Amino acid sequence: MSSQPPPRKQIVRMRVNGRWREDAVADHALLVDYLRETAGLTGTKTGCDGGECGACAVLVDGVAVPSCITLAARCDGHSVETIEGMAQGGRLHRLQKAFHEQLGAQCGFCTPGMIMAAEALLRKNPKPTEAEIRSALSGNLCRCTGYVKIVKAVQIAAEAGS
Amino acid sequence: MNASVPGTPANARRGIPLVDGVEKVTGKARYTADLDRTGALVGRIYRSPVNHAEILRLDVSRARALPGVIAVVTGDDCPHPYGVLPVAMNEYPMARDRIRYRGEPIAAVAAVDAETAEQALALIALEVRELPAYFASDEARASDAVLLHENKEGNLERAVHHAFGDIDAGFAEADLVREVSIDCAEVNHAQIEPHAALAEFDPLTGRLTMQSVSQVGYYLHLMLARCLEMDESRIRMIKPFIGGGFGARVEALNFEVITALLARVAEAKVYTELTREECFLTHRARPQTTTKLKLGMAKDGRLTACECEVIQRGGAYAGYGIVTILYAGALLQGLYRLPAVKYDGYRVYTNLPPCGAMRGHGAVNVRHTFEVLLDRMARELGLDPFDVRRANLLEAPTRTLNDLMINSYGLGECLEWVEKASGWRERRGKLAPGKGLGMACSHYVSGAAKPVHWTGEPHAVINVKLDWDGVVTVLTGAPEIGQGSSTMAVIAVAETLDIPPDWLRVICGDSEVTPKDNGAYSSRITFMVGNAAIDAARKLKGILVDAAARKLQASPDDVECAKGSFRNARSPEQVLPFIDVVREALVNEGTITVKGTFTCPPEAQGGKHRGGAVGSTMGFSYAAQVVEASIDEVTGEVTVDKVWVALDCGHAINPLAVEGQIEGSVWMGMGQALSEETRYLDGLPAHASLLEYRVPTSNESPPVDVHIVETNDPNGPFGAKEASEGALASAMPALVAAIADATGIDLDQLPVTPDRMMDALIERRRRARREATRKVAP
Amino acid sequence: MTRPIHDFRLLRPQSVDAVIEARSMHENSRIVAGGTDLIVNLRRGIGRPSVLISLDGVEEIGQTFVSPDGARIGSGVTIAAVLADRELAAKFPALAAAAMTIAGPSHRNLATVGGNLCLDTRCIYYNQSEWWRASNGYCLKHRGEVCHVAPQGDRCHAVFSGDLAPALLVHGAEVELAGSGGRRRMPLADLYREDGRAHLTLADDEILVGVHLKHESLRSGYAKVRTRKAMDFPLAGVAVALDGNVGALRALRVALTGTNSCPVLLQGTDELLGKPVDEALLKSIDKLVQRQAQPVRTTLASANYRRLAAAGLARRLTDSLATGNASVS
Ligand SMILES: Cc1cc2nc3c(=O)[nH]c(=O)nc-3n(C[C@H](O)[C@H](O)[C@H](O)COP(=O)(O)OP(=O)(O)OC[C@H]3O[C@@H](n4cnc5c(N)ncnc54)[C@H](O)[C@@H]3O)c2cc1C
Ligand code: SF4
Ligand code: FES
Ligand code: FES
Repeated sequence: MSSQPPPRKQIVRMRVNGRWREDAVADHALLVDYLRETAGLTGTKTGCDGGECGACAVLVDGVAVPSCITLAARCDGHSVETIEGMAQGGRLHRLQKAFHEQLGAQCGFCTPGMIMAAEALLRKNPKPTEAEIRSALSGNLCRCTGYVKIVKAVQIAAEAGS
Repeated sequence: MNASVPGTPANARRGIPLVDGVEKVTGKARYTADLDRTGALVGRIYRSPVNHAEILRLDVSRARALPGVIAVVTGDDCPHPYGVLPVAMNEYPMARDRIRYRGEPIAAVAAVDAETAEQALALIALEVRELPAYFASDEARASDAVLLHENKEGNLERAVHHAFGDIDAGFAEADLVREVSIDCAEVNHAQIEPHAALAEFDPLTGRLTMQSVSQVGYYLHLMLARCLEMDESRIRMIKPFIGGGFGARVEALNFEVITALLARVAEAKVYTELTREECFLTHRARPQTTTKLKLGMAKDGRLTACECEVIQRGGAYAGYGIVTILYAGALLQGLYRLPAVKYDGYRVYTNLPPCGAMRGHGAVNVRHTFEVLLDRMARELGLDPFDVRRANLLEAPTRTLNDLMINSYGLGECLEWVEKASGWRERRGKLAPGKGLGMACSHYVSGAAKPVHWTGEPHAVINVKLDWDGVVTVLTGAPEIGQGSSTMAVIAVAETLDIPPDWLRVICGDSEVTPKDNGAYSSRITFMVGNAAIDAARKLKGILVDAAARKLQASPDDVECAKGSFRNARSPEQVLPFIDVVREALVNEGTITVKGTFTCPPEAQGGKHRGGAVGSTMGFSYAAQVVEASIDEVTGEVTVDKVWVALDCGHAINPLAVEGQIEGSVWMGMGQALSEETRYLDGLPAHASLLEYRVPTSNESPPVDVHIVETNDPNGPFGAKEASEGALASAMPALVAAIADATGIDLDQLPVTPDRMMDALIERRRRARREATRKVAP
Repeated sequence: MTRPIHDFRLLRPQSVDAVIEARSMHENSRIVAGGTDLIVNLRRGIGRPSVLISLDGVEEIGQTFVSPDGARIGSGVTIAAVLADRELAAKFPALAAAAMTIAGPSHRNLATVGGNLCLDTRCIYYNQSEWWRASNGYCLKHRGEVCHVAPQGDRCHAVFSGDLAPALLVHGAEVELAGSGGRRRMPLADLYREDGRAHLTLADDEILVGVHLKHESLRSGYAKVRTRKAMDFPLAGVAVALDGNVGALRALRVALTGTNSCPVLLQGTDELLGKPVDEALLKSIDKLVQRQAQPVRTTLASANYRRLAAAGLARRLTDSLATGNASVS
């Protein structure tokens, strides 16, 4: 019923949280919209008009990227991890556990992006200093915590090991 | 296990993680944007491109004719002004006849998809006659200025004039009288979740279901009924997870009403999500404020008189404005002993997005000014800033000149802790060059003792349901927005019943299920809803004790209830598990529901003077903090190295959450002090992104050492008071004092961005040079 | 659901030649590398290219080669990869220091060297939404007639704000370009011109292939001022490279970003060679910077501040590099 024909789509294959999917995706679709609307993974959030808050951070091939300024089509053939893929075997991931227990999440809106950014850090640097943690999370804004308990949660998760 | 074992100090207890925390860390929590939107139309708002104008013609016919557009609404669809204060409703969800700020909603569309909605907006035609626009309070107050609202002379929304005590005598008694004028920029809540609403209107039943980001479902409910001319009983309000508030959502917002209007016209489900820019246009935050303050001080630091003029640039509509300007005056008091206070406040209409309530509502910029002046006067008199505060401590119980009730007062202990923890005595004046220490105090209310809408109902109601499965369900309308209110309610009930919090469930914010609640504002929930929760739990406990007594064949007076079981005090081997007692209680009764309530007594509701209810509360929280900062004299960059803060919250029901609130509020104050400000270019928000509106990142955010002081308030739930706003207002003055300590520079403007700091450094150099030449000259 | 970007086709050619061919075939096309600048702008309705040509499939530009006498950095190398390359950081310290200050960590995983060098210029009247710019009657740089920053003039003063360019300039970088006419190499400074509307000298069908650096005996550093310590473009950024010591300088190069419509390699530093690094020399640098930095009100921070901060940073960096306390950012 719309006034224009829908945009042309192409088949995109992506490994999302360990499972391959195949979807028809418009070239101008953003990864965040693909994840939230097409794949139904609403854990990834959006907090800004593009690239300014980090709420949408996901891992592409193991590194954190802002999914709100990443074209979905460019992830064709790549592996994407979101907050939904973190808890495994009925257990919270160590970062999730630490964020929960240390109150690293208040309203929780920045939390998925924050945890993904922290996960990217710990994979690269399992024993980060406080300054390294602060630097790794500096693209993820949080309005509730002042980052105090977020930093603490990442420290505790790091100590817990993988 | 227990969060708040009575008698154990907060700093030795831990508290419990949030009851809804697992959903948040797993991505399962559904915020408004995550709700099922199957079949929902996309709502979009057409906003004014001009600052101030009469609408000559608004033509939406081409938008309406576009295939895929299901509904278009304009100001004609809602002839009822609305607003959070019954005495000041002067805003329409979409402008009618008159536009008063750029970005004001004028029309809205609901379409099958976002692309179509966007195209439809481009087809709307607007013709206007522009009027002069005012972006500063003094311009708007000029005698020849066009009035934004015809009945508001001088573009003043409200002028407040209060005087208590003998002001002349006070200043006459002073050894030092000083005056400052301090300018604090407008700031914004910038909660990370953008505004969104999902409204569904069912034409078959005539019912509307509204889900949105509101902190005040009840007020929104009222305004929807008013604006849509619907019976309240036809509207259901459901609160999803909410990604922060800080006051951004404490009144019904235009996009919420618009979404509901669209849903009704479309007879469908409509989803509207605002861009970050639109969130900034919706605004409702802390106004730009100019505070002129004059204090009288005796040689020993005692305050003798206080005279204060506050001008708030309020934006285009009333909103909470009257309350904001009243708070600014009322909360001059309640922190220190003040023998005489004169207050003149002006809330000004300007052609900018409307201001509203933001964390520390009304009190923050005035407190900043007050503390900054105290610091400077202390210096002039050669007194230590801590000693000056100590010279002016109150003694609880007492009442202030403006009749605010103070029943517990822990400021002295707060001072003591931060003084020690920061090493103030040993370190101040001995830090490396470019480093300084500063301190300040602040306070805030634990809920407005008089609600905005007077109905005669209790101020808080909670229901607790207990069923055959042994689950205790707390039903509360108190909006959990991340502050931990649901967890607080669970702990209050669990502790009263002495069962593990894990045995409880909480259902929060559904008008068809949970009792009405006034909402998450003025830090009312812990105090009021907490008391109501305890009241409900006590009633439930009574029922269970009776049941246990029946089963134990003992007198209810002999039944002890502890750690989830019941026993007969006279024969302690007779123990009943909780579930057995529950089943006994249900015999002949079935599912049990009890209700707890709380009402602030009239004597807490403030003085008899006009506006006296604002500022009145059952209890104030108190905070003191020390900030250590570094100043880079080459670039003007200011770094907060560390903060020590102590807060008297009466009793920490959940110490973990209390700490989190204190850290968050201190940090938010620091953001306002360092980098946050809104700026308009000819009425356009230049700051309307999270790149230009600079919320601090983790890189420049300091470690914060928190200490909780517990004064055990006589009326608070387990002695508790508020904990999430009180520490904010002292962050800014403590930083400004630290900068003064480091550089000798007194700053009269916030935020202290690098360019402002640099200007001040240059000015200091110039002055030094001038003085040097003056000395050389004979 | 984010606001939709306009509909376009995405091409992902696999070689430089294929990119150039695609460029000449599609008139209304744009190159996208990391997209951390371009996609943000497209989301704000700045430009409506019908085709985006992504560089992510082009292997040739995705690598860095470091040799004893220099380095070649492909334009598609990410900022994160630059940061991870220790050899590069050891040889060209200013480069790593500058890379560390770009945007936020997750941006740096996408953002590329080429994108950073070809970064669009910025202005408070330009980096705004479509509604905002339309309400303001647009401006010279895009769709409009006047410049709101300097209404009397006829040029755009939008400011170049990439952090890498000054660091590369002080290391004497050359850029390699490829177009339908073949490949060419030129000094990095020649990639730019002082015009906020068209600050790149690239031909329409040309792309940046890589950056060439010669190893010289230089100490270098980069420093930038901004309001936040992450996620903030430079209000002023300064790179300094020098050889020699406090007694006498053998080489001195200073470059600026965030002050003009293009990065500025400071002229006149040669006259300071052979002189001791003392207050007089630092004052001369200060003067040179203040004269050649030409900030105007394209940011909310005052232009004067940006000029003074640039000068202050240049002095401090020069001093600390000369005394051996090489400071990073
Ligand atoms: C919140 C935020 C903060 C930021 N902060 C900074 C900062 O502090 N410092 C900074 O420097 N940048 C900053 N940026 C901008 C940007 O992230 C970086 O400059 C980045 O390096 C751009 O690279 P890219 O590959 O993502 O560029 P793209 O967005 O892909 O491209 C940018 C431009 O360059 C062109 N282009 C790209 N590659 C080539 C090529 N090989 N040949 C010809 N043209 C090409 C594109 O057509 C486009 O016009 C920030 C961005 C955001 C969103
Ligand atoms: S400098 Fe002038 S022309 Fe250039 S972007 Fe800014 S306002 Fe537009
Ligand atoms: S949503 Fe803000 S960075 Fe992606
Ligand atoms: S927890 Fe609310 S934004 Fe981070």
